[in-house]
Amino acid sequence: MLLENMKMAFSALKANKMRSFLTMLGIIIGIGSVIAIVSIGDTMRKMFTDLYKDVGLTQAFIQPGYWLEDVRLSDYFTMDDIEKLKDIFGEDIEYIDSSPSVSGEVTVGRRKKNFNLNGIDFNYIDVQPVDIVYGRYINEGDVKGRKQNAVMEIEAAKEMFGSENAVGKTFRMTVYGSVMEFNIVGVYRKDMSPFQKLMMGTGNGTGEAFIPWTLLTWPNDNFYSIRYFADTDLDERSLSALNSEIVSYIARSKGRTSEDFYFSTAAEEMGAVDSVLGGVSAAVGGIAAISLLVGGIGIMNIMLVSVTERTREIGTRKALGATTGDIMIQFLTESAVLSAVGGTIGVMLAVGLVSLGGMLFSLEVVIKPAVILMAVGFSAVVGIFFGIYPAKKAASKDPIIALRYE
Amino acid sequence: MDDIIRLENLVKIYDTGAVRVLGLDTINLSIKKGEFVSIMGHSGSGKSTLMNILGCLDRPTLGNYYLDGVSIRDMGSDELSRIRNRKIGCVFQSFNLISRMSIEKNVEIPMIYARKRPAERRNRAIELLTKVGLRERLWHQPNELSGGQRQRVAIARALANDPPLILADEPTGNLDSGASVEIMELFARLHREGATVVVVTHEENIAAYTRRIITFSDGKLISDRINENPTGFSEHSDLCERIS
Repeated sequence: MLLENMKMAFSALKANKMRSFLTMLGIIIGIGSVIAIVSIGDTMRKMFTDLYKDVGLTQAFIQPGYWLEDVRLSDYFTMDDIEKLKDIFGEDIEYIDSSPSVSGEVTVGRRKKNFNLNGIDFNYIDVQPVDIVYGRYINEGDVKGRKQNAVMEIEAAKEMFGSENAVGKTFRMTVYGSVMEFNIVGVYRKDMSPFQKLMMGTGNGTGEAFIPWTLLTWPNDNFYSIRYFADTDLDERSLSALNSEIVSYIARSKGRTSEDFYFSTAAEEMGAVDSVLGGVSAAVGGIAAISLLVGGIGIMNIMLVSVTERTREIGTRKALGATTGDIMIQFLTESAVLSAVGGTIGVMLAVGLVSLGGMLFSLEVVIKPAVILMAVGFSAVVGIFFGIYPAKKAASKDPIIALRYE
Repeated sequence: MDDIIRLENLVKIYDTGAVRVLGLDTINLSIKKGEFVSIMGHSGSGKSTLMNILGCLDRPTLGNYYLDGVSIRDMGSDELSRIRNRKIGCVFQSFNLISRMSIEKNVEIPMIYARKRPAERRNRAIELLTKVGLRERLWHQPNELSGGQRQRVAIARALANDPPLILADEPTGNLDSGASVEIMELFARLHREGATVVVVTHEENIAAYTRRIITFSDGKLISDRINENPTGFSEHSDLCERIS
């Protein structure tokens, strides 16, 4: 009987192809946009999560609070502070520096290019791995001796020096008002997705190079921030305990309270970004779901027309023995099929478009099966819900009047 | 008790709020199994009202209607649907075939509501369409057929669940005289094969095919007579042969 109803529904929908398609369009667009929006949102969340994972989720920053009105010179950090932190928390900290960077124009012969010079310690490669293609990484001697050595990113090296192997070449850049000459001791490559490049500020014509962080502690070896990477083996609780211990130690050593310092971790930031993105995609998805409602009303509308048009058919079927329930189910099946077919087309369309977009931007798209199931289920519910009234109207027709209907 | 239809003091009153109309006035009538009956009358005579009640599409206001020995007075609408499905084969003036389905599917409809199996339905539909001479047209849509052919499909459909009563409401009303003859011959043949056929008509020459002619006027049964010499038993025997 159900099969028979399905067949009847399909033949009824086929009889009015254009009308059925236009009616489905509402559901197609509704379902399609809900899935597309939620999938785009999920894809972006994954991109950000990956980005933060790449940056290192245990990474943390400490600065004197920007809200302080009485910042003293002693609130700034010194090399000594870093050494003490290493001594006390060394076991749980993998890496620590002042996270310095400078940017400016680098000139080599006729070639000019903007560069970010990132100050790092020799073991930065442990927390932010790169491939050393030529030469070597920044070593302990470079850091301790404040040597003007640099490790340059391979694309930038190629652009500046015409060949990838720029080891032994030099370049100049103005740092803190005076010109410094750097020797290139190594060339590295870091594989990044286009999105990472975009977010990291590379790929837009700015070159990257690493230099010893001790070159960037101007003036007077004072600096405004400390960053560290905690051991990635720490569980969440010990990590947050470590973080608060470090903050309170610093506060104590500066004669302040923990509340006077600005502290943030990559994990926290990631959580914030993630929840904002999640909220935005839920909100936009919700708005898109309204179009589903509109689609449902479209179905109800066309079913009402169909019931009126087929009054005689309904009368005939009743005269031939159809019960009220039979007629009700026939029309309900029809609206549910209309909606489910529309929903399926919508899903295929959305998945196709999102995948195509992912291919174009070489992104790994996230399409959750749960979202598809929910959308299709919702469309079937919409079809049945908005089909109830027309089906009831059909089923309650008096066969005598229905048979006489012209 | 081999009455297929028995009406006892049957009264139908239409209450339109403002006016009350007496549709049928105290009808007593019996039709036996195997009879071929016509019900005649002008429009407004009450014959359509009677037709609706006989077809279990409507209930009497007073009195009783026994169909195949069972009173339908206290039946609910689903029970009436069941009765219509199993006990009555309806043939309408304007055929009432469903246009987007093949004629074979159209014949299957009453069997779908009787919850018969697909294979059984198909076989029966083919058997019936063969019987009415449309074996070659199984997959045609109703609009590809002539009026007479469509009415034959409708008759095949009426026979689908092998009901004890065939009710035809002006079955030749939309047909030319040739097709009318064809349809009435078919009813006559069904009657000869043992079916009970009740035809409602306002045309004398159609009623002339039946063995018993009941006439209504103003909601009253005014005459009930035997037709000693029905049409179609000799003259059109060649046509009978062709159809069968």
